[in-house]
Amino acid sequence: MPGLKDKLRMISAEQKARDDIPKKETAQDCYRTSERYPAGFFADARHMSADILKEIYGFEFPASVQMRDVLFLDTETTGLSRGAGTVAFLAGVGYFTEQHFVIEQYLMRDYDEESFVLREISRLLKAFPVLATFNGKTFDMPVLSNRFLLNRFGDGFGGVHADVLYPARRIWKLRLFSCTLQTLEESILGVTREDDLPGELIPQTYFQYLKNRDFEPVRQIMVHNRQDILSLAQLFFFLCRLHAKPETAAAPEDLYSLARTLNKRGETEKAKKCYRMSARGGLRKPAFHALAQQEKREGNARRAVKLYTAMLSRKEDMAEVCVALAKLYEHQLQNIPQALFYTRQALLILSEPGLAAGEAVQSLKNTLQYRYARLRRKIAGGSE
Amino acid sequence: MNIDQLAATLKRDPGFMENVTAWETIPSREGQMVEFPVSMDARMAEVLKKRGIERLYTHQASAWEAAAAGKDYVVVTPTASGKTLCYNLPVLSAILRDQDSRALYLFPTKALALDQAGSLYELIEAMDVDVKAYTYDGDTQAAARKAVRQAGHIVVTNPDMMHANILPHHTKWVKLFENLKYIVIDEIHMYRGVFGSHLANVLRRLMRLCEFYGSSPRFILCSATIANPAELGETLTGRHIDTIDNNGAPMGKKHFVFYNPPVVNKQLGIRKGALNETRALAQKLLHNDIPTIVFAKSRIQVEVLTQSLKQSGKNSDAVRGYRGGYLPSERRRIQQQLRAGEIKLVVSTNALELGVDIGSLTACVLCGYPGTIASTWQQAGRAGRRNETALTILVASSAPIDQYIVNHPEYFLKQSPEHALLHPDNLYILLSHVKCAAFELPFEDGKQFGNVKDTAQFLEFLTEGGILRHVGDRYHWSAEEFPASEINLRSATTENFVIVDISDAAHHRVIGEMDRFTVPMLLHENAIYLHGGNQYQVEKLDFDACKAYIRSVDVDYYTDADMNVSIGVLDEMKDQTLKSGVRLTLGELKVTTIVKVFKKMKLDTHENLGHGEVRLPESNMHTQGMWWTLPDAISSRYKNDELQNAMMGIANLLAIVAPIYLMCAPRDIKIVYQVKAPHTDKPTIFLYDQYPGGIGLSEKAYEMQEMLLEHALSVVENCGCEDGCPSCVGPMIDAGVRGKNAAKKILGELL
Repeated sequence: MPGLKDKLRMISAEQKARDDIPKKETAQDCYRTSERYPAGFFADARHMSADILKEIYGFEFPASVQMRDVLFLDTETTGLSRGAGTVAFLAGVGYFTEQHFVIEQYLMRDYDEESFVLREISRLLKAFPVLATFNGKTFDMPVLSNRFLLNRFGDGFGGVHADVLYPARRIWKLRLFSCTLQTLEESILGVTREDDLPGELIPQTYFQYLKNRDFEPVRQIMVHNRQDILSLAQLFFFLCRLHAKPETAAAPEDLYSLARTLNKRGETEKAKKCYRMSARGGLRKPAFHALAQQEKREGNARRAVKLYTAMLSRKEDMAEVCVALAKLYEHQLQNIPQALFYTRQALLILSEPGLAAGEAVQSLKNTLQYRYARLRRKIAGGSE
Repeated sequence: MNIDQLAATLKRDPGFMENVTAWETIPSREGQMVEFPVSMDARMAEVLKKRGIERLYTHQASAWEAAAAGKDYVVVTPTASGKTLCYNLPVLSAILRDQDSRALYLFPTKALALDQAGSLYELIEAMDVDVKAYTYDGDTQAAARKAVRQAGHIVVTNPDMMHANILPHHTKWVKLFENLKYIVIDEIHMYRGVFGSHLANVLRRLMRLCEFYGSSPRFILCSATIANPAELGETLTGRHIDTIDNNGAPMGKKHFVFYNPPVVNKQLGIRKGALNETRALAQKLLHNDIPTIVFAKSRIQVEVLTQSLKQSGKNSDAVRGYRGGYLPSERRRIQQQLRAGEIKLVVSTNALELGVDIGSLTACVLCGYPGTIASTWQQAGRAGRRNETALTILVASSAPIDQYIVNHPEYFLKQSPEHALLHPDNLYILLSHVKCAAFELPFEDGKQFGNVKDTAQFLEFLTEGGILRHVGDRYHWSAEEFPASEINLRSATTENFVIVDISDAAHHRVIGEMDRFTVPMLLHENAIYLHGGNQYQVEKLDFDACKAYIRSVDVDYYTDADMNVSIGVLDEMKDQTLKSGVRLTLGELKVTTIVKVFKKMKLDTHENLGHGEVRLPESNMHTQGMWWTLPDAISSRYKNDELQNAMMGIANLLAIVAPIYLMCAPRDIKIVYQVKAPHTDKPTIFLYDQYPGGIGLSEKAYEMQEMLLEHALSVVENCGCEDGCPSCVGPMIDAGVRGKNAAKKILGELL
């Protein structure tokens, strides 16, 4: 069975070089390309549903959402500022037909063709209920809506906008630190670009083309843009699969991050499952802490105690765990002697010689001593 | 003693009066009021009445009428005359009539914007209406920005924010631009020189966008008393501006006293320090329970005065300092305490000169001449309640300009205040803003930028440089950069040097920037650089990296770089031969400067303490200048060294007098003489704008050259020194024996 990397290579191979070098005469239209890819390559797409999308992005999607409802969009611009003068000279979109994933690109060969690009994009945006971009919320869409406004095209997009950057960051920041499309492509999708034009060179390459009309470098920009759209779509569905089938995650970090997202979305059972699966190696301690806290929040004090006790038996974060146990016994289980026991244990641990007596430790000790005294009074039958 | 008794006592005190060069008394005047206009919103009238305002002052009523008639106008009235109602009433009224209306308020500083927004909120709140006013500046939280853009009826901001943020992102401000009814610009007298030239261009950009969005806002401007408020307003806005100056606010009697500290060393012409004299006078006022404001020239003076007055006995716990660098909350508390009368005496920099609301005090002591007539009146205006006598004492320092003023009080009292000059078509500034404008909106063929007739040439130039692209009938922005980020509205060129304070090795901090043409003069290695009243020494100047590293020091001297200047005449625009036979020319110059040495000068006495070497590349500047060329008929009557000394003396005199009459800082212009100018072979004195492209100062000097020469002559004739001093032709050691006499003679012949 071919891996994802191979699939993407195959996709690239399917593209045919075009020989019609676009010539610029009068501004009647912009330059356009259209490429088709077999829809079957997006195997993860079957995991998409309105519920899964809501889990990923945190807002509602049309209940009957299907692959064919999503418009993937990526633009190439003349600069990085979002000011009024930055122009999207190339806009690429991807969408599904019955059997294909179609990528269409609209290029302005000069400024007088901008309105044709905008007209097409405006039409497409109106035709799809869901838009998917990578960082489009802060960049592509603001730039496009500037240009719509300046060219008096009215409003941009009115549907649901799924910006893949945010969930991607939530899932992979812990493991990859950087979450650019390029990093994600390499590390998550296994794509390596060959002879790719670096993004930061794109504006000057385009300006160069305006001056010397050598189309070859622009073709490279278009290849780059097409690859961006392919990766965007792959990532979009990859996230769907990860949320639908967490057990397919490649690393415990991803599961842990996924659990945190699920928690935020209120999917606590699923979150706990993911925490448990992620509790390996360096992530075991944070996962146990998170699980115990979750149980505590849900009022399952006994289960939380079990988790903490398991940590104690492995001598993990002993002071912190003792404090947590003391609180659990005092407030939720009303077992004052046990609370007193763990408070005292925590104090003992913190007083061990050789422990750096920083300000934080000192303040924790003060709090514990206060707690200890209070618990003693409680046992003695006095009120607080 | 109350203020009248104190004034009388001072007047009878011969020890005080022998240092007084003039005592001017301005009689009190009644307020002139008119009824509320019938068109005024009832809610507004009610709120004003609740605040004790039963009628409007005449100027406020005129402003209302001008606004109703759809005019652009400037209100020129003194401090504390109820100026803000001249714009707040028409603006609020427009919004109450039509909720969609929007207004933009521009203030020169953030602090002022905050203060004025505060009083605007109070008014809106009292009226209990749904009008949203917001400040928008660098401190506005990202989350709040959206609300300001969408919902703010009145956006209160500053020109820098306008330039770098609002205009380039105008698409986020559609509501504002589509519905903009009023643009209010307060304190327009602050917008002169480079800053004003930039603002004029920012407004050209703003109006261009308004046209695109289909709005045609009116301008409401406010100015302190200057000679040419309407002209300034017209240059800034490119519109016809009506003047409203029928001030109807009442005013108590005002005493204005010119005080020159006594001479302590007659030979060297050294006087007692202004700071000590100021302190003694302030203490007298403080001990007599007279609410007083003391204006000092620098932050350090503020600290020194505050500290010593806080240990002066009676009322000393009611003394406060106020200056930039205090936290905003602290400044607000001081303002509040001043309004409540809890503070008896405040020592401030010119931070309190602008319209920050501190109520009114009774006496004002100026430690040194504030630099311009307009500023002086603004500061003096801080003293004076409606029905009470006010006293202002100007204590002269030993600086030449102070000595000129204190010895020529009639100049100050009789002359109209200064002209505020600016030059929006300065090539450098204009070009920068054409770029910004093109970024904001493509230029269409044949469209002008403001009233710039050569717009097309700018656009073609930028097209050739590959920054714009001409396609169809438009010029499109075609570069990667964000042009607004490269321009600082408070200097003329884009290449600025960063000034880094390295006093604390662990925390280097950037404390300012300076344009590259001034750097060799003020930031060469070993220069003493003054910043915020503190002294620093330049440790290292990295010319290539555009960075100067400075370290805090405490020394009793300043440095004065000796600049070698060579001047090439590029173009002559105007010229005339005066009756003296002198040829007067206005033109464009290429000024090549190189600094090779600097002098160390003692503070106070300006004695020369020694020299130091400077190694820097030469720099070229293209600017405007005017020059006097002496005919052989005059020059042939003098020996060479006599002529040389005389010209040096005249140049020194002009350097003292010209900034006063041109209303500019001394460093804004430069006077250079050449005994044998290369392009004429004749003795020539040049005056040029010390800014690339010029800011209109030499043009003005060309028109008022006779006045400049007359006043230069009067300075040298009235100076008590024997053979020259820094306050006239320069010290004898520089001017040479008989240099003073020769300068006097030649000046007489020039006139």
